[in-house]
Amino acid sequence: MKSVFLLQWQRFRRAPVMMLSFLIMTIIFVALLAGNNPAERPAILAYADDSLPESEAEDWVASLNKAEEFNFQLMSEKDVREAVAAGDAPLALRLMDGNYRIVLAADDMGRFVLEAFLNRKYREELRFQQVEQQIAGSDIRTEVAGLMEEPPLQVTTTTLEGTEEFQYDNQLQLLFGMTLFFSVYTIMFSLMKIVEEKKYGTWNRLILSPVGKWEIYLGHLAYSFAIGYFQIVTIFILFKYAFHFDVGDRFGAILLIIACYTFAIVALSMLVMGLVSRPQQLQAVVPIIATGMAMIGGAFWPIELVNSNMLLAISKILPITYGLDALKGVAIYDRSWQELSEPISILLLIGVVCMGIGINLMERRTY
Amino acid sequence: MLETEELKKVFKGKTAVEGASLYLDKGESVGLLGPNGAGKSTTISMISTLLKPTSGDVRLNGKSIIKNPSEMRRILGVVPQEIALYGELTAYENLKFFGRIYGLSGKALEGAIQRSLELVGLAERQKEIVKTYSGGMKRRINIAAAMMHEPEIIIMDEPTVGIDPQSRSHILEMVRQLNHEKGLTVLYTSHYMEEVERLCDRVYIMDHGKIIASGTKEELKSILSSEETVWIELDRPYPAFFKDLQSFKVIKQAVETEKGIKLILPKGSRILGEVFQASERHQVEIINVNVQKPSLEDVFLHLTGRKLRD
Repeated sequence: MKSVFLLQWQRFRRAPVMMLSFLIMTIIFVALLAGNNPAERPAILAYADDSLPESEAEDWVASLNKAEEFNFQLMSEKDVREAVAAGDAPLALRLMDGNYRIVLAADDMGRFVLEAFLNRKYREELRFQQVEQQIAGSDIRTEVAGLMEEPPLQVTTTTLEGTEEFQYDNQLQLLFGMTLFFSVYTIMFSLMKIVEEKKYGTWNRLILSPVGKWEIYLGHLAYSFAIGYFQIVTIFILFKYAFHFDVGDRFGAILLIIACYTFAIVALSMLVMGLVSRPQQLQAVVPIIATGMAMIGGAFWPIELVNSNMLLAISKILPITYGLDALKGVAIYDRSWQELSEPISILLLIGVVCMGIGINLMERRTY
Repeated sequence: MLETEELKKVFKGKTAVEGASLYLDKGESVGLLGPNGAGKSTTISMISTLLKPTSGDVRLNGKSIIKNPSEMRRILGVVPQEIALYGELTAYENLKFFGRIYGLSGKALEGAIQRSLELVGLAERQKEIVKTYSGGMKRRINIAAAMMHEPEIIIMDEPTVGIDPQSRSHILEMVRQLNHEKGLTVLYTSHYMEEVERLCDRVYIMDHGKIIASGTKEELKSILSSEETVWIELDRPYPAFFKDLQSFKVIKQAVETEKGIKLILPKGSRILGEVFQASERHQVEIINVNVQKPSLEDVFLHLTGRKLRD
């Protein structure tokens, strides 16, 4: 096993470009899309239409900016529309009397996040306004703020699904999503060496040697696991320490989740290699699997924003869904080990099932 | 030393090899001859324990290796038809790896690497990346990799496919040395008749998955002892002339190639006069006519009705 494992590293050293390109692409994508200033909020241009007086529009913008999730900037309709049309702003906000619209030049995944935020804020604000109209002279806002600080009654709700209020962190979404997405390429392409070995005959040389078949598989799997794990951990460490992304204080838990996720992807790769036996076919299939899995599993946008029941059902069988869920669970929601055990167990289960089926499919031809 | 009994392999309902029985004595060089698709590679895959037979048995020194292939694998070296090497590594690194998986290390490993490189004549270029080698050099390293653990039996599956005449000659000489001087038992498959004639003591001829003839070269040629071969060299193919010759009752077999026509007919048949008359009728330009003793190629033609490289 050791010889086979070391051979893969030797081969990697001779041709590192493809594998390293996935690492570099992840860094570039996350750095460009998430930015390196954690304090910076995404800027959203806004304008008021005729139904909303200027002063009320200013109040709305001030209220929305209080949440510190986006930086809304009130401008004239003409300027905003020009900015969107020119592509300077991907989207903008049209403020109306008790309502809003999102202005888009092209579809943008940020729309879902903005829409979720505006829905929440408008519902809250309109409810306040209704109460204020009914109870004249009452300072309901201060009262509610006080009660939120010191609640008279504390209720802890625990559900089997462990659903918390959705919190969105653009930086972590991009960091986790892109890293797990690109790692699928690294792992699958590294494991493709098994298929290449079978094609070029070196596999038969190994089979005829005293090295056991399980050792040959283990050597390849250990290499793919190591290179995938190394890539994810390197990126997380880089963004935590160099770009100061707030991934929380439980880095040990993150390392464990990465290990489970990497195992599941290595196993999934084995399944794919078992189903598709030619390197050329795999070159075409890997991007489809990686991208499809990332889109449905919530790597490109939060899965909480997806409404389609069919897509949500498919996401339940994808390791990336559970990898992201567990990572966000640690970094954003600070979930307990008990809560994390569910996605971690599912990752391990996916790994065991895919590995078993994958090796069986690959072994159909020979001893 | 090694024998197979009624080997059969069926792939998805299609029989690739049927009833293949052959044997190899220690130190013997045996050829397995047949056109592409004859079942040679499937047969040697079963002998080398890479493929499980559908039925039949392979025995090494009387013991079946089907269920326990480890003893066979220990003493076996296989040179596959494809270049089974890691192209991005040097020849030295490739041999080092293949030596390691056979449990070699330290001085024994280094010794085996240098011995194998000397054998194939590439010691001077051992530090070069394999993918930069010529086809012939890759084939030689392919053989060296199979020799790292000093096997007692070596199976070579068309080891000279697609290489230049010089490299081919080097490889053939190397195989001859391994067999004659080092006493290695060789099973050599090829569809080049002249290679098998040059290297092998005994020959098995395969076609359509079956062994159709076997014996020493002389024994096989004696199949055609009552026949002779007439080779008619032409400037170009003449289909009508060929068809005319096929109608001659005395001709047992006729094969047309780009350069001429080969006829197998009973010894002493006086046919040349009729051939020249037919050539005049069809306005054929005959460059040369040669009456030959039958070769293995002719035996193959006689047995299968087609040329070896069809």
